[in-house]
Amino acid sequence: MSAALRVRTLRELLVVIVVVFGVGSIAMLLAHVSPVDGFAQLVDGAFGTPEEVGETLVQAAFLLFPALGIAVAFRAGLFNIGAEGQLVLGGFAAGWIGAQLPLPAYVAVPMVLLAGAVAGGIWGAIPGFLKARFGANEVIATLMLNYVATLLCTYLVTGPLQQGGATAAETGALPKAAHLPDLIGLLADPQPTLAYLLTPFALAVILAFVLRRVLLHTVFGYELRAAGDAPEAAKRAGIDLGRTALVAMAISGAIAGLGGATIVAGELHRFNTGLSAGYGFIAIAVAIVGNLDPLWIVVASIAFGMLQSGGIAMQAEAHVPKEVIALVTGLVIIALAGRRAVANRRTT
Amino acid sequence: MQALDGVDLELVRGEIHALVGENGAGKSTLAAIAYGAVRADTGDVEADGVVGLVHQHFKLIERLRVWENVLLNREPRRGWTIDVAAARDRVRALAARYGLAVDPDAVVETLPVGVKQRVELLRELDRAPSVLLLDEPTAALAPSEIASFFTTIGELARAGTAVLVVTHKLAEVVAYSQRVTVMRGGRIVARHATAETNAPDIAREMVGGDVPALARRARTEPAPLLEVRGLSARSRVSALDDATFDVRAGEIVGIAGVEGNGQSALADALAGVVPFDGEVRFDGAPLAPNDTPGQRIARGIRVIPQDRRHEALVLDWTVRDNVALGRQRSLPPRAYAEAAREVIARFDVRPPNPDTIAGALSGGNQQKIVVGRTLASAPKLVVAYQPTRGIDVGAAALVQSRLIEARNAGAGVLLISFELDEIFACADRVLVIAGGRFVGAFDRASVDRGRIGALMAGDA
Amino acid sequence: MSGAALALAALLGLTLVKATPLIYAALGGVLSERSGVVNIGLEAILIAGAFTSVAVSGATGNPIAGTLAGIVAGMLVAAVLAFVATRLAVDQIVAGTGLNIAALAGAAFGLQLIYHQPGASREVPALGTPGENVLIVVAFLAAAALHVVLTRTPWGLRVRACGEDPSAAESAGIDALATRFWAVVTGGAIASLGGVYLALAELDLYSDGMTAGRGFIALAAVIFGRWTPFGATGAALCFGFLAALQFSLQRAGVPSELLQALPYLAALVALAGFAGRVRAPAADGMPYIRG
Repeated sequence: MSAALRVRTLRELLVVIVVVFGVGSIAMLLAHVSPVDGFAQLVDGAFGTPEEVGETLVQAAFLLFPALGIAVAFRAGLFNIGAEGQLVLGGFAAGWIGAQLPLPAYVAVPMVLLAGAVAGGIWGAIPGFLKARFGANEVIATLMLNYVATLLCTYLVTGPLQQGGATAAETGALPKAAHLPDLIGLLADPQPTLAYLLTPFALAVILAFVLRRVLLHTVFGYELRAAGDAPEAAKRAGIDLGRTALVAMAISGAIAGLGGATIVAGELHRFNTGLSAGYGFIAIAVAIVGNLDPLWIVVASIAFGMLQSGGIAMQAEAHVPKEVIALVTGLVIIALAGRRAVANRRTT
Repeated sequence: MQALDGVDLELVRGEIHALVGENGAGKSTLAAIAYGAVRADTGDVEADGVVGLVHQHFKLIERLRVWENVLLNREPRRGWTIDVAAARDRVRALAARYGLAVDPDAVVETLPVGVKQRVELLRELDRAPSVLLLDEPTAALAPSEIASFFTTIGELARAGTAVLVVTHKLAEVVAYSQRVTVMRGGRIVARHATAETNAPDIAREMVGGDVPALARRARTEPAPLLEVRGLSARSRVSALDDATFDVRAGEIVGIAGVEGNGQSALADALAGVVPFDGEVRFDGAPLAPNDTPGQRIARGIRVIPQDRRHEALVLDWTVRDNVALGRQRSLPPRAYAEAAREVIARFDVRPPNPDTIAGALSGGNQQKIVVGRTLASAPKLVVAYQPTRGIDVGAAALVQSRLIEARNAGAGVLLISFELDEIFACADRVLVIAGGRFVGAFDRASVDRGRIGALMAGDA
Repeated sequence: MSGAALALAALLGLTLVKATPLIYAALGGVLSERSGVVNIGLEAILIAGAFTSVAVSGATGNPIAGTLAGIVAGMLVAAVLAFVATRLAVDQIVAGTGLNIAALAGAAFGLQLIYHQPGASREVPALGTPGENVLIVVAFLAAAALHVVLTRTPWGLRVRACGEDPSAAESAGIDALATRFWAVVTGGAIASLGGVYLALAELDLYSDGMTAGRGFIALAAVIFGRWTPFGATGAALCFGFLAALQFSLQRAGVPSELLQALPYLAALVALAGFAGRVRAPAADGMPYIRG
């Protein structure tokens, strides 16, 4: 890292710290809670017991998938704000298919995950197609599809594709075979609660490494980055911008959908419409804090995962409403909106 | 490197003062400082009255009307609203007084370049400047328009304005100015009364020695390569109508013309960026009108774009990754570094490190990378659009030499340039483009500068 | 009046009700974008306007005070975006997205603090009925006023200049950054009335997520309306009509989720159908950096 870059990064880090602790403290004071107590509960809730560490990593995983997807789109010059919808739809597909088909584990698990990826991929390909073919603004398109996704899933799950009964906005339970396997359980005498929770995170980290290799060392990644960093030069170098947009958005959606499938197969073991705690939006912050680099995004996801799991404890123990976390997350996004990797995109 | 170093300049009322120098010598920076748009690190600027600046690339707002541009921020008012009628009248009066005919209600983006310049000039004149700075004012004008431009400027000067013309066109300096100041590398290297000097002497002062020689031209046996019949195309900024010409392998065809007369349409049509009408045959087979750039590249046609910063380079990437751009599929990623080193060596890119970020290089070195990677792919046809725009003399000579060497090796080169000197130095044949049409053809032996200039201006 | 005529009148009336928040937001968006700043944060401004007007109306018992508070809140939220977009030259879309997330969470946080119940506030004194409401008339007046300001006043010309070419504007002596800043903030004031109407006129309370993406639909209306006040108003009316249709069609047995999805799908179709053929202000979305 050059000296100038180091200074800028340090300054950004400082801004983030000020925002997180400053705004967080003010909010806690408004809630009649001492910031010391509040932050203590936050950290304790994130790392206090092994179960809580596991929960932090689980939350990190659920953020990591959509964040990786968003980063892929971003690197291609596209702003995918529809990760939430892609994630929900992916979760729905995973839950529905998983509950339908009684299959042995080594088929069921990949199948369920694949279903999520395909559903998310289609949902991402739609705005990608609209952008490639019509030049339609993908920001608004992906946002609109978020709302449509939730409505669509609600409709399907309480109507034509219902499994859990018309009043329950959820699919049937996934058979045990379709649950994500215990990683640790396979290796040692386990803590059953902790075990399966690590699998989503492990999967996501592997995906991060794969994406990094693809982005930096393959021709596909080269062309995708060129399309994002210098679209006019890329076009003249023979890169098909429309096709790149479509493929990038499809991959982005697929990764987010995979995340939704992981939530269903890994934790909830069924789909219900409340499966996402806004992961698709917080993942935007994760992607930006991680500077659109898959490995740094892994680190960022742990930080935000800590905020998520700690936030729940903070609300329960210190009585600070957990909305503070989302509020601070939004402000962090604003604070980092000037980052070079982020602000480099050409806007529509 | 300093843009300006210890510069003193004095402008006197009633005089046209020429400021000359090569690209990058610091002329535009000095003008911007004199105008007040840019602050100098040391030293100061004093002016007895208002200073006006007509920029090389107009600061006009394309989608607004002429009167809105001329009177922006100084509009006549009636209560809370703008008095549009008064605004129009004021523009008409101004236009009449200086002999610069314009339609106040026209939307600027619909106007030809020469008229746009009048609008820009009127905007400054409305402020009644006592000092008027003009940055490369004739770059976009046809030769006949240049004469009438200098008539207007001369009258302004005689009426008491101090006029500074920043230019690199020595013929105009000699013909129209009273004083000339020469800059090189950010410093003033000479001051003269124009009557006491001449163009060759000024040129030597500008360059600081002799211009490097170009590569020798080999005898070639040109074979048919590109046959264009009735080509019509539109790009974002220009249109081409019914063009018919040939380019043969082993020759350089120069397209001479004033900027904005269809060159961009031609380049973009050949690049595959815009579709065309008409018949084109390349290398014995028809060229599909709706090809993508990738398909043209596959046929062996490569275009060096006009704007390297936005159309050729990814400024945030390394030199290595930029050299691969355009060949990213035919080169394996492992070979990118070696390819970069080859281009760096052959084109004397400085600094010679493939990991340098392209945005940190000077314009000349950036252009060398673009030209270098294009020629390294051994294309059959090279369309070089302003290949030496805005780069220093040494780099320009190197680029031109490499193009000549490519021609010697059997490539066909279509050289589109706004600098007649460049075309005369490199081309085997010269075609003239004006108003979106091809209006004249000359081979090297029959080149006639005056006639070409007349054709460029639209005089048949 | 016949039954059909009555139904039509009811539908048109409902259209106005549904369109009014969109009109305000879209007008705010037009002003902002004409100056060159893409305002993805319209949703945040609506939320701010809605929440603050409810909170103050409830606390003071005075809906006028609530309205004024809502406008101030909208301007403050807009000022955040305006500041980071102009002085710090950040990516406007990223910043707007962050603003939306922060505003939604901030309002939910406020709900917890003030009302100690998640999800919704209690009912507060309202600003008239949804139907014959002064705010509906004001919306159309605002459209006309914005049209006059943009096309006939010096400030409007400066705003347009900054949206097309801020560098050229600055060379004419205009402070592009300040002009953009105030355009965005004024746009925020207008847009916030959409939130105020939604909260104080239509629903009489604030509930989590009540704006439901209207800020984004309004942006589609801005594009659809070619960045003009009257065009955006017309587009907003179209979207409002689709929302109003929900009630009629629901009785015909169409699934409610599909009906609720209509405005969003319509915005998508509008984007696809009209995008490539219209031109935004030339410098829209591009941060201007001096020197």
